[in-house]
Amino acid sequence: MAEVLLSGVSKRFGDTEAVSGLDLRAGDGEFTVLLGPTGAGKTTTLRLVAGLEKPDAGRIHIGGRDVTATAPAPRDVSFVFQQYSLYPHLSVYDNLAFPLRAPARRLPEAQIRARVEQVAELLRIGDKLANRATQLSGGQMQRVAIGRALVRRPNVYLMDEPLSSLDSKLRAELRVELKRIQRDTGATLLYVTHDQAEALTMATRIGVLDRGRLVQLGAPRDIYEDPVNTYVATRLGSPGINLVPRSLFPGVAAPAATVTIGVRTEHLRVQRDPAGSGRVARIEHLGDQNHLHVTLADATVVVLADPDAPLAVGDAVALQLQSPLFFGADGNRLRH
Amino acid sequence: MQPAAKSSFAERAATATPEPLARAVRGLSDRAIAWLFISPTMALLLAINIFPLIWTIRLSFTNYRANRPNAEVVGVGIDHFADILTDPDVWASMQATAHFVFWTILLQTLLGFALAWFVDRRFRGHGFWTTAILIPMMLSPAVVGNFWAFLYQPQIGLFNYVVSFFTGLDPSSFEMIGSVKLAPWAIVLVDTWMWTPYVMLICLAGLRSIPDYIYEAAEVDRASKWRQFWTITLPMALPFIMLAVLFRGIENFKMFDLVNLLTNGGPGSTTEVASITLKREAFEKWRTGYSSAFAIILFVTVFGLANIYVKALNRVKSR
Repeated sequence: MAEVLLSGVSKRFGDTEAVSGLDLRAGDGEFTVLLGPTGAGKTTTLRLVAGLEKPDAGRIHIGGRDVTATAPAPRDVSFVFQQYSLYPHLSVYDNLAFPLRAPARRLPEAQIRARVEQVAELLRIGDKLANRATQLSGGQMQRVAIGRALVRRPNVYLMDEPLSSLDSKLRAELRVELKRIQRDTGATLLYVTHDQAEALTMATRIGVLDRGRLVQLGAPRDIYEDPVNTYVATRLGSPGINLVPRSLFPGVAAPAATVTIGVRTEHLRVQRDPAGSGRVARIEHLGDQNHLHVTLADATVVVLADPDAPLAVGDAVALQLQSPLFFGADGNRLRH
Repeated sequence: MQPAAKSSFAERAATATPEPLARAVRGLSDRAIAWLFISPTMALLLAINIFPLIWTIRLSFTNYRANRPNAEVVGVGIDHFADILTDPDVWASMQATAHFVFWTILLQTLLGFALAWFVDRRFRGHGFWTTAILIPMMLSPAVVGNFWAFLYQPQIGLFNYVVSFFTGLDPSSFEMIGSVKLAPWAIVLVDTWMWTPYVMLICLAGLRSIPDYIYEAAEVDRASKWRQFWTITLPMALPFIMLAVLFRGIENFKMFDLVNLLTNGGPGSTTEVASITLKREAFEKWRTGYSSAFAIILFVTVFGLANIYVKALNRVKSR
């Protein structure tokens, strides 16, 4: 396993700057998740690390070796594509064995079989080994694709939204499974997603990308609690963080330049108060919790509430902020 | 008045229910309208495909001759079929056909796939070259046949000149069309020149249908270019290649125009492929009944082979 280091990496496609001046370190044995919306440059970053794209500028190191100009094969990485990139005319077994049969490896067939069966068991496709790749469901195909990455012990695993095409139950299961595999094997894993649940549950560190730049890199907890700007703050949390004008909470002590106050749903305390400035507009019952939509002047905030709280639509309420975040006019975080 | 009032309610209910549009318009059911629309096609198909086929089958059991319409037509049973299948000349023409079909398909598939593979590299100006390669296919077989007849002229033809330029042979020392040994290859060469682009086009469609990410996955999996070709390119393009072979096979089994213009079956009967024999029997010897039987034998052969082949093709596709 090895550390991945990108320094000042840029990549353009025509007029679009997919990645610009990206610095990123994915530590040895870490599960690094790149998070960002479509077009943030996540996939391009991954393809640059794999060698499927050549950077216009900057250097890429894997395990201390400069691989900027190296072809994909000698980089010894494995890649799980978003599409099911299976070899359609091969059986599941042969698909899984494919990377092990590369001439550079020359593994004995018995060893290949043992390895393939182990991985198939792990991904619960052990009974599908004899099937043709095209006879599988979408979820099974993607598990084979993940399995094909796992049969090897590469320098680094690269995964491009591997779970996005699976149903939510399987996705939740594989999330746990992938994390377990990564922890057990001590693998370096670079994982691209726009799903915050995947990022929060699996990542050792999350890198938030915006238009080809790394905005913040840190542990999931840090990214969640201590975002550097509103962009990062809105990436995590469901429902998303409430961003309200500073003027709505005149009583809160904030830095002078504060324009926006950010407060997560669970950091709002709501109390019935006939003199309160808020009004309950809507209540979403989710079973274990309620989401209250509270209108406050011309803004709406979402508040996480106890399902037993005696509140009804139309009630006047007062809101209390706990650990609010302050942002300036440019969206950047302000600290006391 | 009471009963009338009751029935008028039922009547009103009935008239309030709208009729199906078709019946309301012309008193026709949907099915009748469907028949109305397809009947011209059906009539045309019956008149120009099915009826001649049945008529040919009928003629093949008679001694009918088209140049003697008033002569008495006598049924001869399966005599024509027996004659054809035991006639060494017919077998010779079937062999000439087999030679032609085998070599044209082999050469066109190899060359066509190779060309497709090169064009798929998407080098600079590949669009221009694709168009340039396709030109022979767009020409009329009559033009191609006539021009190659000129090119093959031993004295004035370019072909002999070019061969002599590269090999040092005397240009008038060999005749492509006139020699028994070379004539079968002369027609193979022209057909290959004309139809390789067609095979290339189908193969190119096959190669373009393979998604890039499969190659990228193989690249990351450390498969060599050689292994990528054998485990991805070829298996995934195979249904397309087989389709091209099917089209060319059927087409060349009934090859007539090029051969007729280039050699007309000669010299002797060395290049007399099945359809040339058929033409001679039908329109030179006027043995209409006999040639009908021959046509049916050819039809059954092509149809049978093509069916077996399509089964194989479907197996490959479903893999």
